[in-house]
Amino acid sequence: MRRLLTRIWGGLTLSTAQLRHHRLRLGLAIVGVALAVLAVTLLAGAGIGVLETGTQQFESADRDLWVTAGETRITSAGGGGFENSLYDSRSVAAEMEAHDGVRNAAPLAFETVYVATSPDAEFRTIVATGVPGSGASVTITDGESLSGDPHYAGGTYDGERTNEILIDEETARQLDVGVGDTLYVGGSLASARNNEMTVVGISPTFEQLLGTPTITVPLSELHAVTGETVFEPATFITITLEDDADAEAVQRDLEASYPEYEIRTNQEQLEAVLQEQVLVLAAAGTLVVLAIGAGIALTLTLLSLVVAQQRKTLAALRAIGLSPLVTSVAVIWQGVTIGLLGGLLGLALTPPAVALLNRLGGAVVGFDDLVRTATWVSLAGLLIAVGIGTLAAAIAGWRVGRTPVLEDL
Amino acid sequence: MDSGSTRATDTDDSSPIVRAEGVTKRYTRGTTPGFFGRLLGRREPPTVTALEDVSLSIDAGEIVAISGPSGSGKSTLLHHLAGLEVPDTGTVTIRGQSTSSLSRKRRTRLRLEQVGIVFQHFHLVESLSARANVALPLVELGVPTSERKRRATDLLERVDLGDRLDHRPGELSGGEQQRVAIARALVTDPALVIADEPTGELDSETGQRVLETFQGLTADHAVVLASHDQSALAIGDRRIRLQDGAIVEGTDTAETHDQQTQAKVE
Repeated sequence: MRRLLTRIWGGLTLSTAQLRHHRLRLGLAIVGVALAVLAVTLLAGAGIGVLETGTQQFESADRDLWVTAGETRITSAGGGGFENSLYDSRSVAAEMEAHDGVRNAAPLAFETVYVATSPDAEFRTIVATGVPGSGASVTITDGESLSGDPHYAGGTYDGERTNEILIDEETARQLDVGVGDTLYVGGSLASARNNEMTVVGISPTFEQLLGTPTITVPLSELHAVTGETVFEPATFITITLEDDADAEAVQRDLEASYPEYEIRTNQEQLEAVLQEQVLVLAAAGTLVVLAIGAGIALTLTLLSLVVAQQRKTLAALRAIGLSPLVTSVAVIWQGVTIGLLGGLLGLALTPPAVALLNRLGGAVVGFDDLVRTATWVSLAGLLIAVGIGTLAAAIAGWRVGRTPVLEDL
Repeated sequence: MDSGSTRATDTDDSSPIVRAEGVTKRYTRGTTPGFFGRLLGRREPPTVTALEDVSLSIDAGEIVAISGPSGSGKSTLLHHLAGLEVPDTGTVTIRGQSTSSLSRKRRTRLRLEQVGIVFQHFHLVESLSARANVALPLVELGVPTSERKRRATDLLERVDLGDRLDHRPGELSGGEQQRVAIARALVTDPALVIADEPTGELDSETGQRVLETFQGLTADHAVVLASHDQSALAIGDRRIRLQDGAIVEGTDTAETHDQQTQAKVE
């Protein structure tokens, strides 16, 4: 037993000496493993962040149920907007509002419109959200909320137009406008040049929900400028329940009364939206798998290289009679050390990298905390670094022990 | 010198230290074709005969110098005598143990206990001090740290490197590195010392000093050295010349060795 311990200790001492002697090689190997860990934690963190952000956005919308007519998909034709396939949305919403347990039912429509700061300026397309009433659930960070939707006037569309508009910060920055400024908005270029609206407030609500710059206008005025007052299409009808209502029971009742519509909870609606984005999800999943695969491959390659560079030394030691046990311990301990140090460095770099990505994400798409780390992701990263590092070194050590000595000398 | 640990291999102390009988070794150039390779008309790869029916016997205290042109089989013969390779036909016995009959693990153990190897390119571990390099084989034998240090220090002092104990190979000259390698080869007190071109990397003056050290320390060991260097070959008690894998000069068959041994007994 003493001899065995002496040999193991000898292998550990040799390993540590090799690591300390080749510091540049050690440093580069640690950085390589750390990058592999970062790839895993950041990409997995992005996946988690997207799902959690989506859930939060639906929950923060303060709605209990979401009604759609069939699929809820993002269309390229609409410049990134949702399909408005729920027709006569005002009437349907009014009927649903009369249902037991329902406090409020409001249609929401997303349409792509033309926007410019003057009739002669270059128009750009942007997603407009139509909200009924004053849009009480819309968060305002500057200015005021919409004053209401009087133009609807019970479906006659002859009420006074408010010409009020809310914009998000990104749109304000892009158009270089603020509260009190004028914008020209319409469903076509011709209508946009003749439709003057005033920015009354800044709101991030729908930008965060859709992940793209968005303006918000009264629903009737959106339908008016897009020529949709006849069918009053909406993307959703959002339902807020009475405090004492049983959400599942109301959902069941509404489904029975309106079999032609899909009625979902926040979570179900998020899942439905995500399921429509199969390609996006597949791409995200592929990225995560590739990140893990690349992390494993990079770690394996690095460790194999580190061991390959010591082949002659190890072969000479075997030639003079050192057993595979001593040389394997020397190699495996290097793998454990590099994996552990690389893994810890990767974990230490994860929070600042996440902060940087979130800052970039916030500036580009308007989502806060898009990349989020979780304990299990950090543990997975560390496990890959240490586990694969050790495994790679063990395989390399085993191969070194099996290779005929004279092949390497 | 005692190795400080129980020797694990069963050796015969009455036999020659190392003995080769009818050793033949052939190498294949390339790989043997598989099923599809044969279907596609690939032929069996050519073979090269590295050693042809070589017989040799070496006793303790004897220095055998092997010469011959490049490719004549000097290194291959050394590898066989050291137990690094096994012959295709014939046998090599080290202290009475046939290398062909041993597993790879047992051959490694046999080398550790019975064979000291000095390489042309030293092959020291760059990250370890001279003393740690010399002590390394003793780790495998399970010798305690203090004893390892004592023995390594003693040997390094004997090769005039007492003031270089903690220097790493990169901080030593070529001659000093080769003396460290010689000390490492002797630290387990092996019966046989193999040296392949021990002065090949050194200038003539340094090489001469290394040879003197080598000769002085291996007086009671069996030594086989291969070299192109005439001054290195000159330290041999017996010279063997190889040509195309066969001994062409200084033939010493196992039979003649047995006859000599018998004559000594009588």
